[in-house]
Amino acid sequence: MTVQPDQLANLTLSLLSSIALLAVISLGLAVLFGMMGVINLAHGEFLMLGAFFTLTGVRHGLNLWVAMVLAALAVGAIGVVVERLLIQHLYGRMPATMLATWGLSLILVQVVVLIYGPASNGIPTPLGSIRIGDYSVSEYSLVLVGAAVLLLGLTYLVLTRTRYGTMARAAVMLPDMAAAVGVDVRRTNMLTFGFGSALAGAGGALLAPITAVVPSMGQTYVGRAFMTVVVGGPGVVAGTASAAGLLGGVNSLVSNLTTSVLGTAALLVVAIVILRFLPTGISGYWERKR
Amino acid sequence: MMSTNNRTLSGSVAPIWHRLRKHVPVEIPGAVAVTLAGAVLATTVAPFRALDWSLWVIFGLLALSFTFVWGRAGIFSFGQTAFFGIGAYAYGVLGIDLFPQTGETTTALVAAVVIAAVVAATLGYFIFYGNVGDVYVSIITLAFTLVLLTFMSSTADPSYHIGQALLGGYNGIVGVPPLMLPGGGQMVSPNGLLFTCVAVAAFIGFGIHLLLRRPFGRILAGLRENELRTELLGYDVRRYKLVAFTIGGAIAGLAGGLFAAWGTSVNPNVFSLPQAALVPIWVLVGGRRSLLGAFVGVAIVQGVSDALGGGGGSATPIVLGTLLIAVVVLLPEGVLPTLSALARRFVPALGRASVAAGPAGRTGSPLGDSVIDDSVIDDTVIGGESRKATSITAVDVHKRFGGVAALAGASLEVAPNGVHCLIGPNGAGKSTFFNMLAGRYRPTSGTVLLGDEQITLRRPDERARRGIGIKLQVPSLYGELTAFENVWLAAYGAKRDIGEADVRARGALAWLHLSEKARQPAGELSHGERQWLEIGMVMASDPKVVLLDEPTAGMTREETMRVVELIHDLARTATVIVVEHDMEFVRQLGAPVTMFHEGRIFTSGSIEQLRADERVLDIYLGRGTSHAAH
Repeated sequence: MTVQPDQLANLTLSLLSSIALLAVISLGLAVLFGMMGVINLAHGEFLMLGAFFTLTGVRHGLNLWVAMVLAALAVGAIGVVVERLLIQHLYGRMPATMLATWGLSLILVQVVVLIYGPASNGIPTPLGSIRIGDYSVSEYSLVLVGAAVLLLGLTYLVLTRTRYGTMARAAVMLPDMAAAVGVDVRRTNMLTFGFGSALAGAGGALLAPITAVVPSMGQTYVGRAFMTVVVGGPGVVAGTASAAGLLGGVNSLVSNLTTSVLGTAALLVVAIVILRFLPTGISGYWERKR
Repeated sequence: MMSTNNRTLSGSVAPIWHRLRKHVPVEIPGAVAVTLAGAVLATTVAPFRALDWSLWVIFGLLALSFTFVWGRAGIFSFGQTAFFGIGAYAYGVLGIDLFPQTGETTTALVAAVVIAAVVAATLGYFIFYGNVGDVYVSIITLAFTLVLLTFMSSTADPSYHIGQALLGGYNGIVGVPPLMLPGGGQMVSPNGLLFTCVAVAAFIGFGIHLLLRRPFGRILAGLRENELRTELLGYDVRRYKLVAFTIGGAIAGLAGGLFAAWGTSVNPNVFSLPQAALVPIWVLVGGRRSLLGAFVGVAIVQGVSDALGGGGGSATPIVLGTLLIAVVVLLPEGVLPTLSALARRFVPALGRASVAAGPAGRTGSPLGDSVIDDSVIDDTVIGGESRKATSITAVDVHKRFGGVAALAGASLEVAPNGVHCLIGPNGAGKSTFFNMLAGRYRPTSGTVLLGDEQITLRRPDERARRGIGIKLQVPSLYGELTAFENVWLAAYGAKRDIGEADVRARGALAWLHLSEKARQPAGELSHGERQWLEIGMVMASDPKVVLLDEPTAGMTREETMRVVELIHDLARTATVIVVEHDMEFVRQLGAPVTMFHEGRIFTSGSIEQLRADERVLDIYLGRGTSHAAH
């Protein structure tokens, strides 16, 4: 069997969009974990909220892309409120943070069920499709790839090139010292949590056109998001990009060759095997080598 | 003939009873009693109630597995739900496939336990032998659960089947046979199921209780309290964690198998987050250390949840979520423990009663009336049939951290017996050298020998088992365990014999003059006493080589004097290496001194010789640094 150029292009694209999907659903989680050491078990529900806000915006006649941006900002605002009310009391208490955000996730799902009902909603996938040889490819998957690059780039710039980013990294490394040199650690943590939440919201917004928007959609994605973050390690951008590349690649290849069920299984197995040898993830390994 | 027998019998009843009490653990009559109570209960309640309560007992087993893994072994695992689900699916599949052949499903239930245990062991191997951090353990187990959810949800296609059992996607496996005992193919009635569940739970619960009373339980407590210390005492912490995790997985799998038999179906919801969230809620309500609390927590939460309108009530997740947050934020110790503490505070009589019923004579001497004199200490702790002191040698050891060379070719041979001091200014490499001997760092190049044996790449626990006793700079004890348990764990790590560990631990406490405080939690001792206790732990482990890193940090002058005596005692049977800043202390030890500078051995000699050496003063005072001797 020879591989035709169009087939190759199609495979490459499906590989890239699989990677992009993992990156957009994981980035928000990676910011909270890498920057604050917070494991947000409500991450899946933040994704879900992003999707529902996008849905609401579109139903009220907003342009899809505008609705997506607004949805991300709205989830960011919710993140700030959550940090003020709940998370700030639990810094440094890892199991407590996990359990509390877990409780939050149960509440959020049920609140959305009460508002929207448990049934599935959807947004028609925008844009058309393009033909590559014998294959037709949805243009939206190209958008997804572009959005992943954009969000990773944005995160990189925010964390390394802004005053806030410098303060946020300082507040993570040595909170007391950062406070002593005038960083408002409370405010910085609040902003970081809001930023991470907004990224999660953006991920959810990007999912809205390609998946069934249901209150329970969070747990469909959050497992993969956690695997990506764990394999990526503490480096937010480099970790997410590399882990999404690896796991998304494996998932896509195995799915294309066999079935999507085995693709999911392969992702899990590869992630666990990698952690056996790189216990602090890919970016943790790089950091130690450096 | 008859009468003789009778007489013998009656005459020997008392001794037999005595011997039974001595050799049959109290857990067995306990489990039998609970099983009998379960039998009485199962024959009296209505079948629908029996079904309800069976489910509670099954959930109680699941909660128990989490109490064991988290509350006792300190592993915060979300995976209990996963193993529960795996057990349920395994029972479902094997029940459907095997029942037509065998006419019973106990094989399927046993297989469910085995499969869940094997999966737990496999996952645990990758987690614990990869030295993944605690945080990652939680995330990996959670992600594992959720990926299983996704995986099982996408098996709707009829091509996904194992034997006759269709996996069924969201709908799961239907038509799972209920529990059938071998023999008649007789279906177990609801009341019979309740009895079975109570009996199983009783034996598992008391079995865990028995296990925790054994050395294994103490080692798990040590692991939970202070993993590093446990490793330095010669325990392979990875193995103990793996065993605990596997036992927890097996129990959860058993609960899952019973759950599938109870509901005669299984669907991917067993892997869902709301289901997974129930487990810590139960355990937090019942108290996270309490084995019984696991079952009480289930009864309370499920009872309240049923009262709120059954499992399907629309407000239930909100109530559960709020409960979870409230418990975590307001009552981190758990609901029942907090309530019982409150009750004790407000009803003083309760408090007194529980103190009286508590550990006998917390304040009295735990050693009974036996006076331990110095000769006994000499026999059991210091001298005895002790191992021979051994030399320890480092040859051309280098250690680089990124671009920094902390050690640049350090070589040192310390002869058997006696004390040897390592000194040097900050950054000279002595701490790195110490950690290299202790096995906490692996050298970039070079070799470390214990006697004639290469130990360069040995882990700290392997070195400890070969006879290296280590006390780190930062006090590292088991704060919640008693002083006795602290030294006992040290002794057992070296000897692996309960009797001998008891004797050595008592001897070590007597040696430290801490026998009076044997039952106090180590965390409540004074700073100096904690430092001594750690030296006592080193002594109790009967070492050939002792490594002490700044043993007198933060001590008063009198406390330091006592440490000098203790070190001289240690040096009678072991090679002692002390890293120290305090020159006065080094002088009192009167031992040969080796000075580190810039990652190498700079010079060796007596403390007087070094004090007279201009170059040593230069280094300490920072006057010119170009004196590197070789």
